[in-house]
Amino acid sequence: MNEVPVTLWVNGQTYAVRVSPRKLLSDVIREDIGLTGTHVGCEHGVCGACTVWVDDRPTRSCLMFAIQAEGHAVTTIEALAQHGQLNVLQQALHEEHGLQCGFCTPGIVMTMEAYLHEHPNPTVDDIRDALSGNLCRCTGYQNIVAGVQKAARVFAQNSSGATSAAGNESTHLSEGGREYV
Amino acid sequence: MAEEFASAPHFVGARIPRTEDSRLLRGEAQYLDDIQIPNLLEMAFVRSPYAAARILSVDSSAAWNIPGVRAVFTFADMPFVLPQNGPSPIDQPVLARERVRHAGEAVVAVVAESRYIAEDACEAVHVAYTPEEPVLDMQAAQKDRPRRVHDAAPNVFYHQEYETEGFQAAFDTAPHRLTMTFQTTRQTACSLETRGIIAAADPFSGRMTVYCGTQSPHRLRGDLAEMLQMEEHLLRVIVPEVGGAFGMKAATYPEYLAVVQAARLLRQPVKWTADRVESFLSDVHARDDIHDLEVAFDQRGQIIAVKDHLMADGGAYASYPFSGAIGETSLAAKVITGPYDIAHLSTVIDCTYSNKVPLGAYRGVWGPVASFVQEGMVDRIAQFLHLDAAEVRRTNLVQPNQLPYRNAAGMLYDSGSFTESFEHALAQLDYTRWRATQEQARRVGKYLGIGLSNFVEPTAMASSEAGSIGYESCSVRVEPSGTVTAWLGLGPSGQGHETTMAQVLADQLGVDLEHIVVLHGDTDAAPLGGGTGGSRSGPLGGGAAMQAGRKMRERLDVYAAHMLEAAVEDIAWEHGRAHVRGVYARHVSLRDIARIAYNDVRQIPSGLPIGLEVTERYQPPRPVSFSNGTHAAVVEVNPSTGQVTVLDYVVVNDCGTLINPLIVEGQIHGGVAQGVGAALLESLVYDDSGQLLTTTLMDYLLPSAPLVPRMRIEHLVTPSDGALGVKGMGEGSLIASPAAIAGAVNDALSPWGVSFERLPIAPRDIVTSLGRSSAAPV
Repeated sequence: MNEVPVTLWVNGQTYAVRVSPRKLLSDVIREDIGLTGTHVGCEHGVCGACTVWVDDRPTRSCLMFAIQAEGHAVTTIEALAQHGQLNVLQQALHEEHGLQCGFCTPGIVMTMEAYLHEHPNPTVDDIRDALSGNLCRCTGYQNIVAGVQKAARVFAQNSSGATSAAGNESTHLSEGGREYV
Repeated sequence: MAEEFASAPHFVGARIPRTEDSRLLRGEAQYLDDIQIPNLLEMAFVRSPYAAARILSVDSSAAWNIPGVRAVFTFADMPFVLPQNGPSPIDQPVLARERVRHAGEAVVAVVAESRYIAEDACEAVHVAYTPEEPVLDMQAAQKDRPRRVHDAAPNVFYHQEYETEGFQAAFDTAPHRLTMTFQTTRQTACSLETRGIIAAADPFSGRMTVYCGTQSPHRLRGDLAEMLQMEEHLLRVIVPEVGGAFGMKAATYPEYLAVVQAARLLRQPVKWTADRVESFLSDVHARDDIHDLEVAFDQRGQIIAVKDHLMADGGAYASYPFSGAIGETSLAAKVITGPYDIAHLSTVIDCTYSNKVPLGAYRGVWGPVASFVQEGMVDRIAQFLHLDAAEVRRTNLVQPNQLPYRNAAGMLYDSGSFTESFEHALAQLDYTRWRATQEQARRVGKYLGIGLSNFVEPTAMASSEAGSIGYESCSVRVEPSGTVTAWLGLGPSGQGHETTMAQVLADQLGVDLEHIVVLHGDTDAAPLGGGTGGSRSGPLGGGAAMQAGRKMRERLDVYAAHMLEAAVEDIAWEHGRAHVRGVYARHVSLRDIARIAYNDVRQIPSGLPIGLEVTERYQPPRPVSFSNGTHAAVVEVNPSTGQVTVLDYVVVNDCGTLINPLIVEGQIHGGVAQGVGAALLESLVYDDSGQLLTTTLMDYLLPSAPLVPRMRIEHLVTPSDGALGVKGMGEGSLIASPAAIAGAVNDALSPWGVSFERLPIAPRDIVTSLGRSSAAPV
């Protein structure tokens, strides 16, 4: 299959690659650009593991051809941690044990990071709904939800000028409390 | 137990976030498909479109003509088989040999410069078939109807019978008897990362390096060596980051042999990664079981005798090295009485071949099936006698004074907290209050149900899908600079072994966590071990880490005593520093000791070897150690839509000593979510011609975040008599949860007299059953 030149703008850098027009954006990000943090779990747009941002909107990179991304800004998981430091959401997921095998994690971080920017004060049900397009087979989602909640609290404290992100409230959400009862 | 800690435990038992997380969160971890090797070729398979057929011819000439295609292989090019363990005489060929026996069986392997080209070439391969009548019904298959799957063997490839003495008399004279048939439909582990493998000759040594997301690196190396007739020491297996496994990645698969052999023949690196459709067609399936059950009991609901005919559809071949059909039935038969004191048992097992994907291991193996049967049986008895479901469980539970308890199948429950965990779960749930709420809700047309599930979980077994090595190994090296490196033969896939094994070592060595690195999954570095599977890594791997750490610590104590001119018994360690107990000023660091051990060897205390390296192997005192617990679920069922909503979910879990409660709870959360899938969603559906209809995630439904309940977890701790008192716990949550949710749904539907004995219970099943039911709800 004939290859065509494509210029992609990924994580603020320009990449000039030659790819087949049928090649998926996910495959080009992983194979031609070498950013393998974007994972491919199903290649039919269900699992959400391949989620990246195209012009700051969460997008399934397995449902797009790379040539369609020309002229758009693509952001992948590799752009979120600055100088190797986990960002607020990543740190909260770490502290709350919101990941196990980690395969779905980049997609979940990309989905929920964008979600929190637009919905800074979500309820637990909101978070679960926002997560519904990302499948995780390991965690049962409970600690992912806890991590997103914690990140939302930290964002709120930061934006209200609070000096400490720690606070006194218990965050052991796996014990006690009844959200449905 | 406390004396097993060389130091006061600072790390074992602590909720420590994982050391693994950072690389995973940043997207920097290397899973199999992330590995980049120059000149890496990719393999794709032509898979059978028929459940059963004869192969007449294979024409691959058009495929060869596609630019970028490097090879097209059939069985004749790689005539290797996966030999069958145990009673079955049937081998599984790497590529189909003359016949295909399930839709999706690999027939031709194509190797090309890219996966895109390899798939193009697969479409250009023409295979001519004569279809044969498929064998799809396990009960007909037992009588070799409509025919044999393998000409050379009857369809029943495993048959066992067992009966306790005096069974028949006890059964016949019991006041009440009930019959029931429980069925679970096919599921699969469906890890988010699919299977895959890379084989690349090492250009320096000429050895073959194999990257594979396997749970048992050493066993895979041995299997490849044996099946491909290679020298074991010329093979190296490296397990990269693994995106979920759940037992499914413990098996050795035909594709693995094809890739390694292709790399040998082509003298170039070759990779295969399954796409999702291939996963459904070739990853081992699980849970295809039927239990024909009769139970005898008295007026109080005390169970006297259980008679069970266990059947499993093993698929076209017995998965290597662990047939899921044999595993699910033979183990279920040993614990079908669960935590209940039932004196008499009679079991008959029949495992059959069919023209479906082979049945293999999936988390819990026998357990989710057996618990569903055992708890369903108890609920049916309660219903029949108009007794409370909790009361009937109280009547039957093994009492504390009966422990250790040998069940009717001869299994020894070493220790446990059966009655305690049950009462704690009822209290946590507020069972009486929910019963009252259920009554009130029914009056306003809302249907709530409560499901109770008591489970036993055999763990740390000598033999599991990870293999039959009844021990684990750990090597520890204190580096010349005083930091610590440890290696284990485990094959983790998200369980956090790098953190938990470091916690165990840190307490033994008296050093801080950040000074320990735990490595695994490289057969060149790790000592030989069984791998990860059957809830063995915590108790066996942890035991090996403890033993290796302690051995190292004993040596370090001698150094410290010598250098501080004190008695060995007076040495204490903290933060990588030894001091004379009570005299912090007199101290020596691990770094000082390491310098002597490696570089100033004339100063080594007499009798000690040069260097600081140990390898220890840990074998537990018992062949199996039982964890236990109780799950309790409250659901609401919408009778017009069949929608099930889980309102509350309580877990009381007893796995002995907890190394890291954060990780234990994460395992429980994930297992319950998979249980929600098993109970309500997940089903691999075959049509009448043997086609698998559910080959995408749009057809095979996994639980998503809104469907999975928030769980409340309480830990009880009944230590084992093994290392650290740890018992395994990777499977209990999935063993108990399908039964809890199914029980709750059945309880909600009791006004209609509807009770499901088949999983999953889908909305349409509920709507259809209620439509048929003549009994009007209260």
